[in-house]
Amino acid sequence: MKNVRIFFTKSGRMKFVSHLDMNRFMSRALKRAEIPIWYTEGYNPHPYINFALPLSLGFEGRYEIMDIKTEDEIGFDEIFKRLSAVCPDGIKILSVSEPIDKTARIAFARFEIVFDTKSSVFFEHLQAFLDRESIVCTKTTKKGGSKEIDLAPKIRQKNISDNTLMLLLPAGPQENINPTLLLDAFFEQTDSEYVCYCVTRTEILDDGLNLFR
Amino acid sequence: MDNKRFEQLLLAVQKPGRYSGGEVNSIVKNKGDVDVRFAFCFPDTYEIGMSHLGMKILYSQFNKREDIWCERVFAPWIDFEKVMRENNIPLFGLESRDSIAEFDFIGFTMQYEMCYTNVLNMLDLAGLPLKSCDRNALSPIVVAGGPCACNPEPLADFIDLFFLGEGEEVDLEVIDLYKEVKKSGGSKQEFLCRAAKIEGVYVPSLYDVAYNEDGTVKSVTPSDGAPATVKKRIIKDMDSAYYPDKFVVPYIEIVHDRIVQEIFRGCIRGCRFCQAGYIYRPVREKSADTVNRQARDLCASSGYDEISMSSLSTSDYRELEPLLNKMLEWTEPNHISLALPSLRIDNFSDELLQKINHVRKSGLTFAPEAGTQRLRDVINKNITEEEILRTCRTAFAGGYTAVKLYFMLGLPTETDEDLKGIADLGQKIVNEFYALENRPRGKSVTVTISVATFVPKPFTPFEFEPQITKAEMERKQQYLRSCITTKKITLNWHDSSTSFLEGAFARGDRRMGKIIEAAYKKGCRFDGWSECFDLEKWLQAFEECGISPDFYSARKREFDEVNPWDHLDYGVTKRFLTAQNKLAHKAVTTPNCREKCAGCGADCYGEGVCYEKR
Repeated sequence: MKNVRIFFTKSGRMKFVSHLDMNRFMSRALKRAEIPIWYTEGYNPHPYINFALPLSLGFEGRYEIMDIKTEDEIGFDEIFKRLSAVCPDGIKILSVSEPIDKTARIAFARFEIVFDTKSSVFFEHLQAFLDRESIVCTKTTKKGGSKEIDLAPKIRQKNISDNTLMLLLPAGPQENINPTLLLDAFFEQTDSEYVCYCVTRTEILDDGLNLFR
Repeated sequence: MDNKRFEQLLLAVQKPGRYSGGEVNSIVKNKGDVDVRFAFCFPDTYEIGMSHLGMKILYSQFNKREDIWCERVFAPWIDFEKVMRENNIPLFGLESRDSIAEFDFIGFTMQYEMCYTNVLNMLDLAGLPLKSCDRNALSPIVVAGGPCACNPEPLADFIDLFFLGEGEEVDLEVIDLYKEVKKSGGSKQEFLCRAAKIEGVYVPSLYDVAYNEDGTVKSVTPSDGAPATVKKRIIKDMDSAYYPDKFVVPYIEIVHDRIVQEIFRGCIRGCRFCQAGYIYRPVREKSADTVNRQARDLCASSGYDEISMSSLSTSDYRELEPLLNKMLEWTEPNHISLALPSLRIDNFSDELLQKINHVRKSGLTFAPEAGTQRLRDVINKNITEEEILRTCRTAFAGGYTAVKLYFMLGLPTETDEDLKGIADLGQKIVNEFYALENRPRGKSVTVTISVATFVPKPFTPFEFEPQITKAEMERKQQYLRSCITTKKITLNWHDSSTSFLEGAFARGDRRMGKIIEAAYKKGCRFDGWSECFDLEKWLQAFEECGISPDFYSARKREFDEVNPWDHLDYGVTKRFLTAQNKLAHKAVTTPNCREKCAGCGADCYGEGVCYEKR
């Protein structure tokens, strides 16, 4: 048995595939690619597939990570070649390698948010909002309740250029801040009119802000 | 509409994967490179439509041709319909996202009656007039096929052309004719008149229906050279028939999310209530080699890990055991499971059970359909109580603890005693479990009894029968409930209101069209979904149109009455159906096609079980 980490992008129509559906999608892709995947042992054997960090429905991802286990005999190049051949538009395999970092070390993610407007007033409002000392919003908890949190101290980096906002936010097993939370708060708490936007997660980082590998 | 805005809207509805397209094995072509664009419409949700085998076959077959681009279209769920209407998004093909109003063909597959308002809604969402006579241009031509096409009259006002029977050949013949007419600048009328001469094509506007004073059909008269009777088409040789080597693999979970491998068409049994058992005659099998090869190709191209055999009665497949042996050779090492639905009680062997045990253990489901031997004889369900009990014994001994049984309520000649028989049979199965020495220890048994309301259908021996009234359905349900005294038996049933409406649609005539349109305009759609179904609106629609639903469903029809579908020929003769009806009332059974030919008329196709060596 061999641990394999697969890096890929998710874009276009694939962004409508939810995290749960990705699991099924990938298990079928691995089967089409005839990769000798390792099955879990037990009453109901299934292929071992684990995504390092779930991606929200509707987001694109430029640095997505999936861990699988294979039987020993297949090489990384071969997995790369075969899997690339069976993936639809919207999934591009970037590389296949041995896992280096443990997924528990994931701590941050970078996002790129492209707005469908050129209005400079809009981006001035956005900048002013992001510069507030406190941005309080309501987050639903896992138990179905809700709690108030202040997003301002969570934003590690923010930068607007042209019609794009770049954000560095906490992500991973310790704490997760979804950029939608921030944008919803912006549209709710300011007079800005609603503008369409696309979110891309561009990088997944460890606690030292190094690229997760 | 620009893509960004569209995608933003998608994110605001439930399951955007229903509308996003882009699935593995879906086919995208350049519209400039094709002559014919075909919108294959399934008038229900994505999850149901994507599970339908017929669509998979035709989608793949059409797209194999370079000059045709076939796209999939499903009924948008009510949340997305609202978004579409608010934002002026016309109904679109999933592959191109182009409005289907631009297409050459809009084709509906009609699998069940309760989807009729969805057909109207889809035409409306496409921005097209609902009625055939109000659509004057050559394209789009609105066509329909599927089992409900065997009585197409309720939809005759809306559909330009129906395909009767199996579509693999006739659909392409019609598409070729269309290409020719389009090229020569011909009209829709010219196209329809010429199409009507192709066997298996029914153009309702070329038939004039006259009525008697009592409201029954007097005569159906063809015009413009259309044939007096239209004969359904079948595929003669199943081994050489087209079968896809790829299935579109959805991202969201669908109802049947697996490989569906067809093994034969038709059914030898002739259960008298079952429309599928008559309209798909004669039985034609694929060879085990063909089935094995096709299933293997489909697994390789889709990545599915489950295969379900598809037929009306899987255990009647003559090569079932050799087939399973062949398939287990490659499915087991590849972690692919096999499912065998539609098994019959009377030929369910221990060996077969072992084979199924080998791959997958789920509940067992059987369909005795009626509670007493007398009533089972009436409906020609040739199984005995002893066979049912023996099979359950075998299953219990093999480790099963759950049995699901299907029954029908409201069958012709049914009495309360027959209903009590359902409860008694359930109890006997429970007793059988506890009487068994080697039953699974420490476990309890569950018998689930699922009761559907019988709906008389065209082209069955019960096409003459009255359907029981809604009040009677409810009384019978209550009575049956009162007969069940143990918690080991769970009783489920279908809503009687939808059965009642289904009964009216199934044997309705052309005048049903205005009722469907009126109900649609009142907001009816997704009538098969309990959260959408609104009986009140339907009753109002009937009343406004001055027609009683009972006229279609609750009336006994004389053998010599002209039925609205009598000018359509499904191979099974009315003479045979009449004779079968008389036998039913005497509780006399008819042997299956392999035991003895009953002379139904389907031998006119020159193929299949009618010509097997015996």
